Amino acid sequence: MNRALFRAIFKQYRKKVAAISTGIVLYEGLLTWVYPVIARNPAVTEVAESMPSVVKTVFGISENARVDTFEAFISGQFFARIWVMLMALYGIQTANSLLAKMVDDGTMAFLLSTPVSRSEIISTQVGVLMSTTTILVVATIVGLYFGTLCSEININHRRYMRLGFLGIAFFSLIEMYSLFLSAWFVEEERALTYAAGLTLAFYALDIVGGLSGKLSGLKNFSIFQWFQPQEVLEGTINPRRTFLGLSAASIALWYLTKKVFETKDLTI
Amino acid sequence: MIEVKELTKTYREGRGIRNISFQVEPGTSFGFLGPNGAGKTTTIRLLMGFLRPDSGRVTINKLDCWYEKTDIKKLVCYLPGELHFMENLTGLDFLELIAGMHCESFPKKSRDYFVSALDLDINVLIRKMSKGMKQKLGIISALMLDASVLIFDEPTSGLDPLMQKVFIELILEEKNKGKTIFMSSHQFSEIERTCERVGIIREGTLLAVQCISQLREAECQTFEIEVEREADAELLKQSELDLIPIHGANYLIRVAGELDRLWLVLAQVRVKRFKQRSLELEEAFMDFYR
Repeated sequence: MNRALFRAIFKQYRKKVAAISTGIVLYEGLLTWVYPVIARNPAVTEVAESMPSVVKTVFGISENARVDTFEAFISGQFFARIWVMLMALYGIQTANSLLAKMVDDGTMAFLLSTPVSRSEIISTQVGVLMSTTTILVVATIVGLYFGTLCSEININHRRYMRLGFLGIAFFSLIEMYSLFLSAWFVEEERALTYAAGLTLAFYALDIVGGLSGKLSGLKNFSIFQWFQPQEVLEGTINPRRTFLGLSAASIALWYLTKKVFETKDLTI
Repeated sequence: MIEVKELTKTYREGRGIRNISFQVEPGTSFGFLGPNGAGKTTTIRLLMGFLRPDSGRVTINKLDCWYEKTDIKKLVCYLPGELHFMENLTGLDFLELIAGMHCESFPKKSRDYFVSALDLDINVLIRKMSKGMKQKLGIISALMLDASVLIFDEPTSGLDPLMQKVFIELILEEKNKGKTIFMSSHQFSEIERTCERVGIIREGTLLAVQCISQLREAECQTFEIEVEREADAELLKQSELDLIPIHGANYLIRVAGELDRLWLVLAQVRVKRFKQRSLELEEAFMDFYR
């Protein structure tokens, strides 16, 4: 990793990361502020329990999970759908900007005219992706700790931390295949289309797979099967193995991305 | 030394370069001239290790430009033809980035010298800079690192005439320091003033590699002439002069060597206007384009 390049690229993204982090923390503040009001109203629990499983799937609530806990509330309202899509979009767009866009618009020409190898440049871009993703995840978890503390909601902090680690590994996988596609196509528009299309396909398989028992097999083809926030927060699954598997897949993709980019013709 | 040997690179759409060979000796400067789309930038991309040759070889100081592309960059500084920067950085941030990536202690003295020579405010955000300012920033980033080989792709595009003059002076200074310079351009004047040798490329083929002095020897003199009557024009056409009609009774006459024949013909016609064109050497170069 090249320090000078890391500093310069990070500087490009710090405002964006700060804006997204602020948005996440404010939204979490709103959710933790309204939750005590909702929790005191028994009708809300009844409504939630009476929801058909199809509706629960669409909102990211696990079928057999409880609906009267803060974990069910925060998963349905934030972690299972909004957070995952926000972070996935951030990862896809940033990975594309860090490679395919820089080749496409010619910015990469200056970087590649220095004695820093193509693989070192890729490793630096991965460093930027990983560090900004970590900042966003840390802001999410710390923001939630703060929100629950202010609203006096009891949570198991260790489980939220586990979700944070799982989130970093999961979003890294999305970023790594987006970066790989950027190195493969070295063309901004095509790389972005394929990365976004692939992620949307995974997401659609996850939702359709949850609609009925007959289609449940489709979930096995989606990477979203490995990101079940409610189960992690309720402690019914330990994400350690999933974390290790996702991390290994990301490292393999990182290696492949370096190999592909090293031999690509670049018309810059 | 830069050595290009039987180099071929074809893009998918068919354009590219074919079987190009030339050498640039250490401490000399080489101009690469040609119209748009001739293959100048492709050759430079191959020199910089951005593209892999289909066949042939290109080396700088005996290092292969594709297989040892990272090592080559320790010797070379490069100015791309089209400048695209990270827009959220200031000029100073960018220069620090390039110096940092070259793993050198920041060459502040050298940087300040070029910043002052080109009169650039480096504290301005790059996205707020004009095309000319960006061009200056690119030139400073290439010159401040004191590399032994300089590769410039159309370095003066976007610069005003005053700054073009300053750039040529800076290049001559670098040349006097013994640097090897490879510069592409379609402006003949800057190549003429800075380079000893020139390669002329058209449609992917290297047409000639000549010394500027050789070109001077072969130079033609060009005159613009306007005659009064049609009969005079007929007389000119019947003569063996190299005559190019411009419009009406206006003609260009190109003469290589002695002018005796020209005077003999002109003595027989009534000349309304007579003017010698000043870019004779450029005319010699333009011969390759016709």
